[in-house]
Amino acid sequence: MSAKLPLEGLKVADFSWFGAGPICAEHLATYGATVVRIESETKIDALRTVAPFAKDKTGYNVSGYFNNYNAGKLSIALNLNTDEGQKIAHKLIEWADVFLTNITPRVIERWKLTYDDIVKINPEIIGAYQPMQGYDGPHRDFLGFGAVLTPITGYNHLSGFPERPPFGLGTNYPDYVINPGHTLIAILAALRHKRRTGKGQFVECVQLESSAAPLAPAIFDYTANGRVQTRSGNGLPYAAPHNAFKCQPASDGGRPMDERWVAIACFTDEEWSAFVEAIGSPEWTGDAKFATLEARKENETELDENVSAWTADKNAFEVMHDLQKQGVPAGVVQSARELLDIDEHIKERGFYVYLDHPEAGRTAYDGPPFRLSKTPGKLRSPAPMLGEHTEYVTKEILGLKDEEIADLMVAGALQ
Amino acid sequence: MTQQATAAALDDVRVLDLAGEIGQYCTKLLADLGADVIKIEPPGGDPVRALPPFYHDEQDPQKSLYWLNLNTNKRSITLDLDKPEGRVLFERLVATADIVVETGDPGYLDGLGLGYEGLSAIKPDIILTSITGFGQTGPHAHYKAPDIVGVAMGGVMWLAGDPADPPNLAPLKQGFTSSSIMGAAGTMMALYHRDVSGEGQHVDVSMQESLSMAQETAMQTWDMLEALRTRNGHRGIIPIDIPGIGPYECNDGWVYGFVGAPGGATWGALRDWMAEEGMAENLTEEPYTEFIDNLNLRFLTTFAEEPAEIPKKMQMLSHIHDVLTKFVAGKGRWEMYEGAQGRRLLFGIVSTPEDLANSPQLKFRNWLTPVEHPELGETLEYPGTPYRLSETPWAIRSRPPLVGEHNREIFGDELGVTEDEWNALEASGAV
Repeated sequence: MSAKLPLEGLKVADFSWFGAGPICAEHLATYGATVVRIESETKIDALRTVAPFAKDKTGYNVSGYFNNYNAGKLSIALNLNTDEGQKIAHKLIEWADVFLTNITPRVIERWKLTYDDIVKINPEIIGAYQPMQGYDGPHRDFLGFGAVLTPITGYNHLSGFPERPPFGLGTNYPDYVINPGHTLIAILAALRHKRRTGKGQFVECVQLESSAAPLAPAIFDYTANGRVQTRSGNGLPYAAPHNAFKCQPASDGGRPMDERWVAIACFTDEEWSAFVEAIGSPEWTGDAKFATLEARKENETELDENVSAWTADKNAFEVMHDLQKQGVPAGVVQSARELLDIDEHIKERGFYVYLDHPEAGRTAYDGPPFRLSKTPGKLRSPAPMLGEHTEYVTKEILGLKDEEIADLMVAGALQ
Repeated sequence: MTQQATAAALDDVRVLDLAGEIGQYCTKLLADLGADVIKIEPPGGDPVRALPPFYHDEQDPQKSLYWLNLNTNKRSITLDLDKPEGRVLFERLVATADIVVETGDPGYLDGLGLGYEGLSAIKPDIILTSITGFGQTGPHAHYKAPDIVGVAMGGVMWLAGDPADPPNLAPLKQGFTSSSIMGAAGTMMALYHRDVSGEGQHVDVSMQESLSMAQETAMQTWDMLEALRTRNGHRGIIPIDIPGIGPYECNDGWVYGFVGAPGGATWGALRDWMAEEGMAENLTEEPYTEFIDNLNLRFLTTFAEEPAEIPKKMQMLSHIHDVLTKFVAGKGRWEMYEGAQGRRLLFGIVSTPEDLANSPQLKFRNWLTPVEHPELGETLEYPGTPYRLSETPWAIRSRPPLVGEHNREIFGDELGVTEDEWNALEASGAV
């Protein structure tokens, strides 16, 4: 194993908030970068105020939503609406290799933190921006965050059953993997270029573009064929069964949280035959209505009813294990409880990481989203408390003297 | 934003692409950043070429739009790794490569002597990226994992859908997409490390892990409070119906509101808009005037403080919702979206694929990318870039390859395979 992580020595000024920016910067920290998160009590990251909060605790430092995306970072409290706060921001930009923000272009312009502004301070900097709709264009200043971005980028129209309204995926879906992941790739590309040439660049990961890219097959079907795809439930044209099936509940409270479901999918004739055998070849499976994929697609409602009747009184985990043993793709529709407390595979791989936070206590964090055999990423510290490292950053990183720091405090810059 | 392009970030990097469906977006991301991605197809072609939708619905290995989107900028050779002759050629290619991306059952390549150990014996600084449903280790490592299994096991399916329906599968293979994105990020991370240290390594990506962060707060909610988030239909995270939050139907589609969110205009501004158009009914009168002035996110947190007031409040919310529903129903989706945004009211259009293709914003930014297909006699509009880099831009430099299109170029011109050797390979069925 290598002693050094890939990004050790890399300096990141993280001016982002909410989800897409902080998650990206957290991955950089996990792989060794020094990430300074610039925050302010005067414009607080709303995630610090959103549930869940550590049990029986309140305040800005105990939100699981915020903490999960900010492990391994330093936090400085800085009021960018003061002249002195601006000066400290400029010093951080001078210090940094990478600048990152997902704050709206109007505010970034007001704070004079556009790419054109920051290259004047640091000509080699990589400036990574994640505007909602872009730094130009007629919808540049449209409002939005995840809850509205998900429908705008096409996910709601394509998700769920056709007779339901387009309510989406129950989360601000593209905020968590798609947008931070794409931005991470772009920053790593820019870092490589910087290493080869010494040059920084302007990186724009527009959330509209980044979120729409994974919906390419539907967009392409429109541009090439003029067809407007719409949501069509859990099916696929080339697999049957391909759905989630209700199993024995986890407990008998009758609430959605007590339910257990298992996803089962058969793509090939081999998988279908294995499935038939695994469920004991009941009579209905011999019917011509289910003999071929084409026939199963045609009679899918009836097929799904039959499969449901088989799963109804069974344990979802046993169904999964038994079917997988026979070579049939199956997986429990796991809740967070099952991922954290039951999933033996996740446990053995040690995916979730438990960190001790001075206020929130010991809580779970998502582990690194990919594993490097010789330089495994590591969540090195829990999320910072708001302004926890203000003194460290001003003194040790920026080299300010005690009296300068005192003046900044008097000027209201460090809040 | 047009700036002088000077180079591609990966223009000195060669990738051998053994990826099945789960990993093809990963190698596309690398190819579109300039890597020389050599796609290794089994003789007869990549099975993903058989997936719909097809260009003009013509089922043909060269016309799967699904496949075309995932294979821009790649070169294609055909090679059967299960044949010894095929493996020898592959090993010769490995010596020229920086990265191998594969998605086989864990241990499959090891069995051929082509796992990380075998590859690094040929090319010591090679990076091997393996993308599978559950990663290289653990009791589920060999489980079959089409997209639906990863989305189910990763916790994302549990959160989506109406309580009366089965949990909803995310559209268009989000499990595969997430694995590929994290596969590309992990590969780039390993590449950066190799550039600095000269050391290659094995990158392990699990679909279940890479997607699971998209559970939003579900994991922490269980961890901290032992409370379980579940699928909640249109209500999402908010447990009661609040007017202006959620989907509203227009006369030609849908919009989705989040009125009252920080940074946007308040419910009062929406009432004023309805009043301007004579659609506010009695919302401009008491008790609604005051009620609406206080209708914001803070309202939600104090909603239950006076239990006796709840039925009355629910009735008022329901009436406001009805008035808004009628107002929105009289408008087109673009009219509602742009009209609301013009008033700083947080509404988004529920975009259809057509809306994305015709979006004034994406048009202005030239997001759709024309690619010439001489064989089809047409230029197709490809969905565009996820990111823009001013110095090392994303670009589609060549259309996706025909099956084995680059056999002669790569084996003959680049590896120096002679005519006789080539004929023997063809006879063996290895190419």
